[in-house]
Amino acid sequence: MIPCMVSTGFFVLGRCGRAPVTACAGCGRPICDRHVGPGGVCPECATAQGYGSAYDPFWTSGFRRDHYQSTSSTYQDPGWYGTFDDYDRGAFDPEDQGDFGDFGDGDERDFVDS
Amino acid sequence: MFWRKTRAAIAGFHPLHQTLIWEHTLSATLPRAEWAALLASLSRHRGLVRRPKWRLPARTESLLVPLIRVLCEDVGGGVVGITADLRGHGVPGKESPHRSLPIVRPVRRAEEWWVRDPWLSVRSELRDGSVLTLAVTDLVRHRRIVKVNPRGKRKTKTKTKAVQHIRTSRSLAKGQMPARPGSPPPWWIRVKVRPGVKTVIRAAAKVPLPAERDQLGAIMTVATEPFRWTQRRRAA
Repeated sequence: MIPCMVSTGFFVLGRCGRAPVTACAGCGRPICDRHVGPGGVCPECATAQGYGSAYDPFWTSGFRRDHYQSTSSTYQDPGWYGTFDDYDRGAFDPEDQGDFGDFGDGDERDFVDS
Repeated sequence: MFWRKTRAAIAGFHPLHQTLIWEHTLSATLPRAEWAALLASLSRHRGLVRRPKWRLPARTESLLVPLIRVLCEDVGGGVVGITADLRGHGVPGKESPHRSLPIVRPVRRAEEWWVRDPWLSVRSELRDGSVLTLAVTDLVRHRRIVKVNPRGKRKTKTKTKAVQHIRTSRSLAKGQMPARPGSPPPWWIRVKVRPGVKTVIRAAAKVPLPAERDQLGAIMTVATEPFRWTQRRRAA
């Protein structure tokens, strides 16, 4: 059985490792009862929709991702943000937010002049 | 009695929450679960307390709450100690004696004084065996100049210049070896490493006092440096 794969910690990263109860509705990874968010999604997928108040228990996931991305740029250290895996980054990846089609030359036939 | 319901609501808050309301200070060393209880209490504040006089002090929701959340993520079975003085710069005891500056006419009087506000101190025992400390001090220089023009009109001008000192250190677990990161820190962050049985990595910065909403970012950026000095390895 694959344990809960949610990232824990902020500076000292780790995996939850508890027994899973379901799979994330967003990314499909196994998650435990402690990390199931509203709608059956993992903390990363939940905060990728936007996070506001630090009182939200899942707030740290979104802030952690933003912090690693900004400090990676400040320190000019790509390896720092590279410690995140595909699950940590994937939910926030703009390419994953929806398929808006390819607006290449071949699609111009769908447009008409007004 | 006025504000009877609000007073009753405050009486039901966490004791540290009440101290924040009445004294604008916080000093405690607690395990993760206790800090979670305090955050739960703080989250109810805005809904129950409407009186401006009793609102949470500045920096509480923009800095202290996020910082507690971040520190509790890494703490494991250890404790987090936080001492925060959120009374601001204008409190007696933080101001140095005023001193006169040399003057040239038409300036009649010039004086300078400093306000030193060590408002945040943190010590956290992390789950990898290391210990993180963090200290933030605001230093504000005030200058007041009185000048008189030829018609006898007096003008007083006051200038302030504020900087923030951020100091952080991480004492690694016994025998844990540091590894120099691939890139140096930004020029405004100074780093010192003291090798030994318990290697200590210190990072410090002096920045112009950021706006309240930007202070968390500045503190977290400096606090990141000691963690770049250890091998990044995920626990399975």
